[in-house]
Amino acid sequence: MSMTFDINTLVYMLEIVVGSLLVSVGVHFVPVGGAPAAMAQATGIGTGTVTLAAGSGLTGLLSAGLMMSVTDNIWPILATGAVGSMIMMDATMLTGDFIYSYAVGCPYASAKVNYDPITMFPQPPYVAPGTVGQGIPTVCFVSGTIGALLGGVGGAMIYYPCMQISGNPAQSAIFALGIFFVQSVIPSWNIQGTIEGFHDPKFKKWPLAFKASLIAGILLAIMTVLIQPLGGA
Amino acid sequence: MDQLKGFTFTPQQLRMYGIIGSVVGIYLTVGLNVLTGTKLFSFIGSIAALFAVLWGANAIRRICSYGLGTGVPAMGMLCTGMGCVAAVFGLNLAGRFGIEWAGVIITLIYAAIFGYVVGVLCNKVMKFNIPIMEEGLTDGAAACTMAILAWSVTISGSLSYNAIIADVYNTGFLALIFILGGMALFHPFNANLGPDEKQDRTLIDGMMVGGLAMIGVGICSLVTLGLAPAMLTIVVGFAIWYYFYIWYFRLTTRDAAAVVGTGLLPPSAL
Amino acid sequence: MDAFGMGLVAAMGALATVAGASEDIDSDIGSQSNPNSQVQLAAQVGNPHRIYNKAIAGEPPSNALWCATACIMAYVLIEGFHMPLLFATVAGASLAALFDGVMATSAYFGRSASQSRFNQWIYLDIVRYTTPSIMAHVWITSFCVTLIAVIQVYVLTPHHPFPIPVIGLIWGITIGAIGSSVGDIHYGGEREFQWRLFGQGLNTMLSGQIVRKAEAGLRNSIDNAWFCAKFGGPCTGLGFGLTVFCDNWRTTVFDPVTQAPYAIAMGVIFVILMNVYNLYMEISARKKYGPYPGYKGDIAA
Repeated sequence: MSMTFDINTLVYMLEIVVGSLLVSVGVHFVPVGGAPAAMAQATGIGTGTVTLAAGSGLTGLLSAGLMMSVTDNIWPILATGAVGSMIMMDATMLTGDFIYSYAVGCPYASAKVNYDPITMFPQPPYVAPGTVGQGIPTVCFVSGTIGALLGGVGGAMIYYPCMQISGNPAQSAIFALGIFFVQSVIPSWNIQGTIEGFHDPKFKKWPLAFKASLIAGILLAIMTVLIQPLGGA
Repeated sequence: MDQLKGFTFTPQQLRMYGIIGSVVGIYLTVGLNVLTGTKLFSFIGSIAALFAVLWGANAIRRICSYGLGTGVPAMGMLCTGMGCVAAVFGLNLAGRFGIEWAGVIITLIYAAIFGYVVGVLCNKVMKFNIPIMEEGLTDGAAACTMAILAWSVTISGSLSYNAIIADVYNTGFLALIFILGGMALFHPFNANLGPDEKQDRTLIDGMMVGGLAMIGVGICSLVTLGLAPAMLTIVVGFAIWYYFYIWYFRLTTRDAAAVVGTGLLPPSAL
Repeated sequence: MDAFGMGLVAAMGALATVAGASEDIDSDIGSQSNPNSQVQLAAQVGNPHRIYNKAIAGEPPSNALWCATACIMAYVLIEGFHMPLLFATVAGASLAALFDGVMATSAYFGRSASQSRFNQWIYLDIVRYTTPSIMAHVWITSFCVTLIAVIQVYVLTPHHPFPIPVIGLIWGITIGAIGSSVGDIHYGGEREFQWRLFGQGLNTMLSGQIVRKAEAGLRNSIDNAWFCAKFGGPCTGLGFGLTVFCDNWRTTVFDPVTQAPYAIAMGVIFVILMNVYNLYMEISARKKYGPYPGYKGDIAA
């Protein structure tokens, strides 16, 4: 029957909100082409934004959870979450590109820019007729890695305060998972399911998702910090 | 095969059934368990969840027929993701203030508010301009949360926060509820997507997945409640699943162009 | 670092590779996830077909469901009835396969019935002989993933703090995300459209014109598994195997308590290596395949 509300509670709330926003912005970096990409008809990874972001962010959450079971220091936890998430995303993009180059037999090209901003390779001559690009060129690959980094840090940053409040890894993991899903669906709706990365014109819409995720994140953070362990279990 | 009669429900009807069915069902479960001093009546919780499933599946059906660009599952994942935090929020708050029975109501209200706010954000901030977005997300989020809560009550047999955390969260059974709950809400519309989708077939599919979820939840409760209550949940769940699966199959035979044992393509397409 | 831990991590990598491969083949037999859009479209543009239409909510949620189901069964048997770990895993995978059978058939019936105006029939023989094959692959996937979760929680040190159903759910989402990003391209980009020019993706004009006839008779979904098992499946396995192996290898070789910075730095090195390798592949593909012949624009290749 005690209500502990102090500066720590505010810090926890802030951590959850910042984590949410990192996830939300991170989703905009992940180059997702949706179903057309699986037919090598559009640039990017051929799957849904929500689940790809969740797949990488939650792999990071697994690593972060393992790290948090041996230390309380926030930095290694965030870093290991980010690294786990990046490894999953890069492994996915790399093996996806195996299929684009060795099975479909096409070079990778983006249809949204004339020159790849990182390698400066010209793109339009390599875009197959009747498609809007294919494969995951370097700019998309790097963008995806950044997205996974943000998602992994975000997931770990949501997990950390949950753990501080309840000290219960199972419960914290489920809360982090739930919040992660909410925060990856909102930006996915914002970009309507497909984006090529930070060079895509759609990327400029991120402030809209940022605002929406901020409000949703605050509502979720209020719930999460108010759930405190009850005595007499 | 005899002509099968279909049914249609309005969203208002389903919302009423969903709220009343799930709330009353949860209280009935806990009340009967406390009155008899056993856990035998836990299976009623899963039946309460079926009402919530009907309610939520119809909400997802309405919104997703507009096409959001991310497929049907995304909305289900949003609702379940929020639901697994909100489900214990009400219980915790109620437990802290010593009014344990009010937990369900607090959860329901907060979930509905959250759904409404996200709906407003979608329309006002992200400019979706889907007229029923607020209404649909309110329904979806509240229904999903109630379904999660009802299944959690089936596993733990009580409404106390500590029991639910110990039996459902610490064991990780919420992972199953999370994904099966989401699946029961979005699988029906996703599996029946197409121009000839019918409301009755979609909803019966949802009930079928609800029965399947009941079997899964029953298996979980083998650890938490013991053999007798768990077997009761599994057997009732199997009966519900079987009944609705057969019903669903008959509805598909009613709606399909043809159901053939084997054969080549239709003559028009060869 | 101890030899036993390294052996376990190697075993997890191997299990993950098998799981990834079987996951992709399962989704190809059922035409799940992204290529499903073309199977769905085919009937609408006047090409009814005899291909399975297993639209279970995209691969990641559905695989999360199979793996979570297998994990709860395993958890119940291990914690409640003190069964051996391996037996519990087998029982869990069997339950997951049964659940999959129910969901797969309901999706096939539903999707086909909702296309009745396009004269898409429901063929019961397809349900009878394809569903067991899907269930078998789901059995393999959920067996391997559950075993990975069991190893992480009960055997490998440091023990993972999450309960196995949560780990199963997370690996399920991950394996589904990888399967739909990697293996689906082989099915959707190559197998569904084998009569168009090689060396490019699907021209939008050809959407829905999937191959419906086989060497003899009509193409069925088992034929698709035969094709995709040769490259799409193994690549998916490689992707998931890399994820599980690299992620766990670095925390096993370097003790997370005393050598956390090394474990993190090792992960960063993996990430950089993969970025560089992709750049190499991009350059090599551009050089070997060259620009498309019909290009008329001003930008030089």
